[in-house]
Amino acid sequence: MPSHRMPSEADIISTVEFNHTGELLATGDKGGRVVIFQREPESKNAPHSQGEYDVYSTFQSHEPEFDYLKSLEIEEKINKIKWLPQQNAAHSLLSTNDKTIKLWKITERDKRPEGYNLKDEEGKLKDLSTVTSLQVPVLKPMDLMVEVSPRRVFANGHTYHINSISVNSDCETYMSADDLRINLWHLAITDRSFNIVDIKPANMEDLTEVITASEFHPHHCNLFVYSSSKGSLRLCDMRAAALCDKHSKLFEEPEDPSNRSFFSEIISSVSDVKFSHSGRYMLTRDYLTVKVWDLNMEARPIETYQVHDYLRSKLCSLYENDCIFDKFECAWNGSDSVIMTGAYNNFFRMFDRNTKRDVTLEASRESSKPRAVLKPRRVCVGGKRRRDDISVDSLDFTKKILHTAWHPAENIIAIAATNNLYIFQDKVNSEMH
Amino acid sequence: MEFKLEAHRIVSISLGKIYNSRGQRGGIKLHKNLLVSLVLRSARQVYLSDPCPGLYLAGSPVPPPQPGEPAAGPPAGWGEPPPPAARAAWPEPETPPGAPPARTAGRAVDAEPAAPGAGDTLQGGEAAATAEAEAAWRRAEIRARGGGRGRRGPRRRRGCAPRGPPRPAPPCACPPGGEAGPGALSCAPRPAKDERPVPPPGCPRKRGAAAGDGPADCPAPGSSPLKKPRRHPEEPAGGAAAEEEEMETGNVANLISIFGSSFSGLLRKSPAGGREEAEAEESGPEAAEPGQICCDQPVLRDINPWSTAIVAF
Repeated sequence: MPSHRMPSEADIISTVEFNHTGELLATGDKGGRVVIFQREPESKNAPHSQGEYDVYSTFQSHEPEFDYLKSLEIEEKINKIKWLPQQNAAHSLLSTNDKTIKLWKITERDKRPEGYNLKDEEGKLKDLSTVTSLQVPVLKPMDLMVEVSPRRVFANGHTYHINSISVNSDCETYMSADDLRINLWHLAITDRSFNIVDIKPANMEDLTEVITASEFHPHHCNLFVYSSSKGSLRLCDMRAAALCDKHSKLFEEPEDPSNRSFFSEIISSVSDVKFSHSGRYMLTRDYLTVKVWDLNMEARPIETYQVHDYLRSKLCSLYENDCIFDKFECAWNGSDSVIMTGAYNNFFRMFDRNTKRDVTLEASRESSKPRAVLKPRRVCVGGKRRRDDISVDSLDFTKKILHTAWHPAENIIAIAATNNLYIFQDKVNSEMH
Repeated sequence: MEFKLEAHRIVSISLGKIYNSRGQRGGIKLHKNLLVSLVLRSARQVYLSDPCPGLYLAGSPVPPPQPGEPAAGPPAGWGEPPPPAARAAWPEPETPPGAPPARTAGRAVDAEPAAPGAGDTLQGGEAAATAEAEAAWRRAEIRARGGGRGRRGPRRRRGCAPRGPPRPAPPCACPPGGEAGPGALSCAPRPAKDERPVPPPGCPRKRGAAAGDGPADCPAPGSSPLKKPRRHPEEPAGGAAAEEEEMETGNVANLISIFGSSFSGLLRKSPAGGREEAEAEESGPEAAEPGQICCDQPVLRDINPWSTAIVAF
């Protein structure tokens, strides 16, 4: 859904998330706005428009704030959105910026009462002398109105910048993680939270790693994982202790000494971690690879996929232009058989875990006319160059796909390319394998 | 040798990033700055790992310090005091110098994200580096003298009252908090008409108005604080007073060791040039871009490559 305004920095999409049924898709942007898309129900009358996503609601979630006491500006950029499991007719989601998490309730109104006794249709009080009989107001249909209201504001829980939120499978609690701490909140209680992880050293000069992402296990409400800038994953059990500084499991792969460079530490920092839907595996993304970890094996990942290894020789330039600090996300498909992540030049990659085949696709307006078929792309690194190949040196590093999401049940993906959102659907293989 | 050039270049770039990060909207990003500091440390280790005639470390090659360990007991040749000219550039604390200087080093570069406001430790990048050098040298000297007042405990609550009457601001001392808007880095020298005290670089944090908040080695002999803006009020977060804290991004003994070692050599090598370097550093941010080496100024030609990297900023 390209923006019709002149592209500005505020329109840059900063997070994308499907809800649990896939009917709704939420995006957050740098300007603090949330846009929710809804999938149109399939209709026999217009078979071609079945299952497309249209704008459902737009609202301003966060505003820029200025902390006068600390002379610190707090960005309004939405870092993460997480949907709550739906428990009634309303939908709820959590959205967070660097410091404050908010719970939003989204309700529909498609009927309104008509036939009041004391008021007329415009709401003006009636002249009582004209009222001769009593009537019962009835609900009449009206144009659908989507109303969004902030139900809770969870503020002042974090000193550092919030990087993740994750709703627990108990549907009552959620956690929020910043660089050094993770807090556990109850969805109904905003004035306090429990600190469950604290890796801040007593002496900040001893700081060697920070928390980069965290997530609750999809089924076990006592388990969660957090990743670090050193490339490790820690699985924690909240039953073990109130403060989960001691991990239950530590997942870490020994560094390959032959790949050592000035930037080894940067590229091993994990930018995203996601449990598989089954809960058996974890997916991590670092700068050059995605890795699949088995919860039962801590020594190393069971699978490693190269996203763009051709960048390994360009790390110094990427350090210079700050691209090496880009935080790419990763995603599982609904059946955990395919994993997806973004890259540069508006490319995104998919890896089929079963066939071991991978594909590079591009999200761009030229190649994405409605119902066009995406053509696989290839980056050539010297040697034989085919006609449509892109050479490494002509990659556009300003076009980066950091945020992607996969529909929980179908082969529908949402790709955020700077300020544009692309939604691709695999019509041929709509069933998950 | 190519490795050294590469390392040197990476150091320059890294310093630029740290410097630029202070003006960032939303505050200093702890994660990114940590990564940059790790790169800086790696580059430095490579740079120092093979001796070369250009090194200011007279003679003996210095083994790279362990990660995270601040520049402990300097080897022979490092411990000379900076020349008086350079010293006078900074208001000397009247208390023994061992008190908080270690903290300054970490603080000054990656200090509170209250970038413009937290004036007491936030100085211009280049000036900060010099302050760190000074501080780190002092700390090393204290250690050489046998400990002094080395305090390594949590220093969050150390309050240091301004020492004496306001002094003429040294080059690039930041104004006291509140004057600069977000993202602004005021590094211009301030005239003495500024009545608020200019905190000395050795003072890591001011905790409220109580001068006695900190350890006993930070008294303000005979001076009562004039106007002490409360810059670090309690965090309403968890509520407990113990949780009164800032977003500490003053990481990195790595930075201390890097700047400390290089600067002590820098100042020692060219006492007359010390002043010029300080001035060059002031104009550095405007003149230089990250990665570029200013080799065409006569004063710089004789300086070792380490200092050109620092001078560039």
